[in-house]
Amino acid sequence: MVLTYRVKRRQLIRLAAGTALSATTLTGCGLLGNDPEPVPPPDALQPVLDEALQLAAAYDRAVLAEPGLAKRLQPLAEDHRTHAAELARVIGVTLPSGAPASSAPAAGGDAADSVATLRKAELAALKTASTACRTAPADRAGLTGSIAAARATHAEALR
Amino acid sequence: MTEQLSAALAAEEAAIYAYGMVGVQLTGEGDLAEARAAEAAHRARRDALISRMSALKASAAPAPAGYELPFEVTDRAAALKLAIQVEDGVAQAWRAVLPASEGADRAAALNALIDSAVRATRWRRLAEVTPATMAWPGKA
Repeated sequence: MVLTYRVKRRQLIRLAAGTALSATTLTGCGLLGNDPEPVPPPDALQPVLDEALQLAAAYDRAVLAEPGLAKRLQPLAEDHRTHAAELARVIGVTLPSGAPASSAPAAGGDAADSVATLRKAELAALKTASTACRTAPADRAGLTGSIAAARATHAEALR
Repeated sequence: MTEQLSAALAAEEAAIYAYGMVGVQLTGEGDLAEARAAEAAHRARRDALISRMSALKASAAPAPAGYELPFEVTDRAAALKLAIQVEDGVAQAWRAVLPASEGADRAAALNALIDSAVRATRWRRLAEVTPATMAWPGKA
């Protein structure tokens, strides 16, 4: 019984591998070009980290466009960088060094626009962090909970 | 989890008491509206906690009749400072519930943490304390 099961399982794996291979080959011919090696699924905290970096960069751009906002926005950007550093440590990834704070030219629009956009982005990021917190293992619940709360306070500070 | 929930209950009781002291020193419409809303929110959390703990058959220590305030609250500045401290303290109590809970209990603790952190930020803005936010709300 066990033997039969094992054989079947091995066949199944081989079958699955074959399918994966042909899928890879097909994709390889497509728009995406060379497929990377199969990678482990991303950490559940990765989206939270991505948003922290994106928000920090968005604040930097807003300050570049409107230096008068620096006093108001820089502490918020700093919070996001603090989150990103801790998330990277917990996930076990290295942050890209020298975030391109000054490279991206500011998009058009006045200061009020950018503050409203930033607030929207904070509220979206709050949702991500809240979801992460609700489903996190115990040792990540406080981390993600505080990040969610910080994002909520940022949205409040931008009202 | 019941240990963390009873600490949260104690924090909510203390907040309700403190807002009584805070309210006396406030006169501005914005300040007062904020204090009233905050006190009502803490009462609602306390009631929800009591019923959750009773469902869990956990006993809660009775709230003390009075509290020693960390400083004298004799004017608006002190009242706002106390409100900020109270919300920071409540946020800390709820954050401690997160790793000890799951499902609906964790979701409720997260909402309470977020609400307290947001109120603390509002009080900081009213008190013109900068920055009005911190990286880790609820982390002692």
